[in-house]
Amino acid sequence: MAEVASPNKDGKDSGSPSKDKLFDPSVDMLVNDFDDERTLEEEEALAAGESEDPNAELSSLQKESNMPLEELLALYGYRGENQENESPIEEDADPSEPMEEQESETDPPDQPSKLRALYENIPENDQDAARLLRSVSRVSEEEEEDYDYSPDEDEWRKTIMVGSDYQAQIPEGLCHYDDALPYENEDKLLWDPLVISATITEDFLKKASEISKPPIPMGSHLRDDEQALYLLQQCGHNVEEALRRLRMNVAPSSDNMSLWSEEECRNFEAGVRCFGKNFHLIQQNKVRTRSVGELVQFYYLWKKSERHDIFANKTRLEKKKYTLHPGLTDFMDRFLEDQDGRDRSSSPNVQCSVSDNKKSVPENVSQQTKSTPDA
Amino acid sequence: MSKHRVSYFFNPDVGNFHYGTGHPMKPHRLSVIHSLVLNYGLHKQMQIYRPYKASAHDMCRFHSDEYIDFLQKVTPQNIQAFTKHLSHYNVGDDCPVFWGLFDFCSMYTGASLEGAMKLNHNHCDIAINWSGGLHHAKKFEASGFCYVNDIVIGILELLKYHARVLYIDIDVHHGDGVQEAFYLTDRVMTVSFHKYGNYFFPGTGDMYEVGAESGRYYSVNVPLKEGIDDASYWMVFKPVISSVMEFFQPTAIVLQCGADSLANDRLGCFSLSTKGHGECVKFVKSLNVPTLVVGGGGYTLRNVARCWTYETSLLVDEQISNELPYTEYLEFFAPDFTLHPEVVTRQENANSRQYLEAITKFVCDNLKMCQHSPSVQMHDVPGDAIPEEDKIKEEDDPDVRISQDLEDKMVDAKNEFYDGDKDNDKEDMET
Repeated sequence: MAEVASPNKDGKDSGSPSKDKLFDPSVDMLVNDFDDERTLEEEEALAAGESEDPNAELSSLQKESNMPLEELLALYGYRGENQENESPIEEDADPSEPMEEQESETDPPDQPSKLRALYENIPENDQDAARLLRSVSRVSEEEEEDYDYSPDEDEWRKTIMVGSDYQAQIPEGLCHYDDALPYENEDKLLWDPLVISATITEDFLKKASEISKPPIPMGSHLRDDEQALYLLQQCGHNVEEALRRLRMNVAPSSDNMSLWSEEECRNFEAGVRCFGKNFHLIQQNKVRTRSVGELVQFYYLWKKSERHDIFANKTRLEKKKYTLHPGLTDFMDRFLEDQDGRDRSSSPNVQCSVSDNKKSVPENVSQQTKSTPDA
Repeated sequence: MSKHRVSYFFNPDVGNFHYGTGHPMKPHRLSVIHSLVLNYGLHKQMQIYRPYKASAHDMCRFHSDEYIDFLQKVTPQNIQAFTKHLSHYNVGDDCPVFWGLFDFCSMYTGASLEGAMKLNHNHCDIAINWSGGLHHAKKFEASGFCYVNDIVIGILELLKYHARVLYIDIDVHHGDGVQEAFYLTDRVMTVSFHKYGNYFFPGTGDMYEVGAESGRYYSVNVPLKEGIDDASYWMVFKPVISSVMEFFQPTAIVLQCGADSLANDRLGCFSLSTKGHGECVKFVKSLNVPTLVVGGGGYTLRNVARCWTYETSLLVDEQISNELPYTEYLEFFAPDFTLHPEVVTRQENANSRQYLEAITKFVCDNLKMCQHSPSVQMHDVPGDAIPEEDKIKEEDDPDVRISQDLEDKMVDAKNEFYDGDKDNDKEDMET
């Protein structure tokens, strides 16, 4: 529920109608809301009233012209972008709901009654309780669509089970493990701070960042470069040697995620359109050049980018054009709810071109936004 | 206080799994945290490991063979063949079958296991694995987004060297999987602070669950009501943990830092700030006991990232600025772009002072019942799950001489297990 999720937390909440912003006819409005039947009826009713008294009509027009846009819209039954995202949220239990005043029936008899009195709301075994962690899920502003779920029939209150099926086997005293598997996949020490002093390390990082200019600016602060530190360690913490190798570019390719081509981005978006967030299917059918893991990573960078906003708007328009089969649009609907749950205005008029270099997109957006964070 | 040696375990792939559309658990939060850790310059202050991946064998130290076998085999593609098993193992709703499920489990479990081993070998004082902390998983089944209980497996490893291990859980949900695993033993004390009652998952954890048999009074539960704020939490946490330390005297601690106890969590209902949450971590650190720090719940991505980044900084004793550094994920932290945004919540604190005092007293009274900390008769130190000496041989670059740190490792840990003439483990043992 929106109210619990505290919309004040940040500006990204589901529609904040009171927010002062430019009138920006939404897709919904353009496509369907303006020929809403209800609106027509209301207009007729109004017209009927007005015909009786021309002065009343004039004064009401006058009044309306001074009305804030939102009120005006409300007056005529237009509810704007909120309309869609009001319903899917209902299934969530509101944790702030009044508690049932029930006593536990299984309390041991010897318990201090004072405490028990304080702990008044131990509800009894309840029928529609959940075995699901998600049962108390609230939709927070940034979060996605939720399932309709049906809670288990189990009683919510559980008891701790005792028996060999439940407890771990505690090593008796400290006994030998003979059956240690031959060890297959090893760990790797990537950095150890105790070998050289912090100042030397920092100095090294400074020099390293000058050598290996990242393909995209990473801000002015000195960040830890995993690769450079690992190289330094490989060189036995010999700073000169590590820098020499950095210069020679012997270092392994700096980014574990190479840049995405425009084609890959387009295919990815087509994949999201078809398969929602089923990254495996996207990988299988659309972006075979990338692993599923890379797709997941890309998704999170992409979803906060301008490019994503454009994508989302386009998808919404398309949704209106087609009558889709409910069964097949499952993913799509969820995706769209996701979009509706957010105020898109937080990265407003950033006219950053949709560039080929995918990673630079979230960057442009965020830098611009950052310059005016808490005005 | 001297600086602690901190080891940090992170597999760069662990963030690239996806539980499925609409699922609140988002492993990618781990990538966001790692990015913040790097950009805050915390990385260079810790030993960084790309951890070992746990094998099915490692997981079976706690879980049943059949269950792990099932996890290994099931994929979204062949799921139809397992329909009977799904409900049996509670896999489906909360714990979906997603691509790479077993890999994901072996990454986070391996990191906790290795953290425990590094602590055993005294290679560090604090081991951090934010990908771990999946405290609901049971011996025979998945539960609450958790499949393999890395905490139980980590504690079992610690028990090889430590007579008494303390488990502390500040997730908003009860740490039922860990409590259940150690319900009958006095060698592990589990202490969980959580929301209890009114349908809240998982439905266990009232204060009368105190353990059974030898483990009676070694399960400690602090049920709380919704909306608890920093001050109220501290009012309970500090005296309870102090009392636990006094009566149990653990030689190792596992701290589960579930971040769903923060305000405005998607699934939680507490009102802690990142600072209030961090106070608990700071306090546990000040106890100066070898500690494995793991993650856990946390479903509002940006707040989890803030919280665990901040706690990483606390563990390495480094002050970091409130303004977030630039990262590729910066946009997630709009509009304030700070580490400690102001907590705004409409959740009333339902915990009266009277209630908090009463629950604290109840818990502390129970703790007095653990008469003497158990003593474990000393035999032999068991071999490690992963043979330690292999790691030393690991070479990175043949034309580089062996580095000082690797050399240091070779003379390490007084209870290091050697087969040859260096064998000293039988005499030189701490109790």
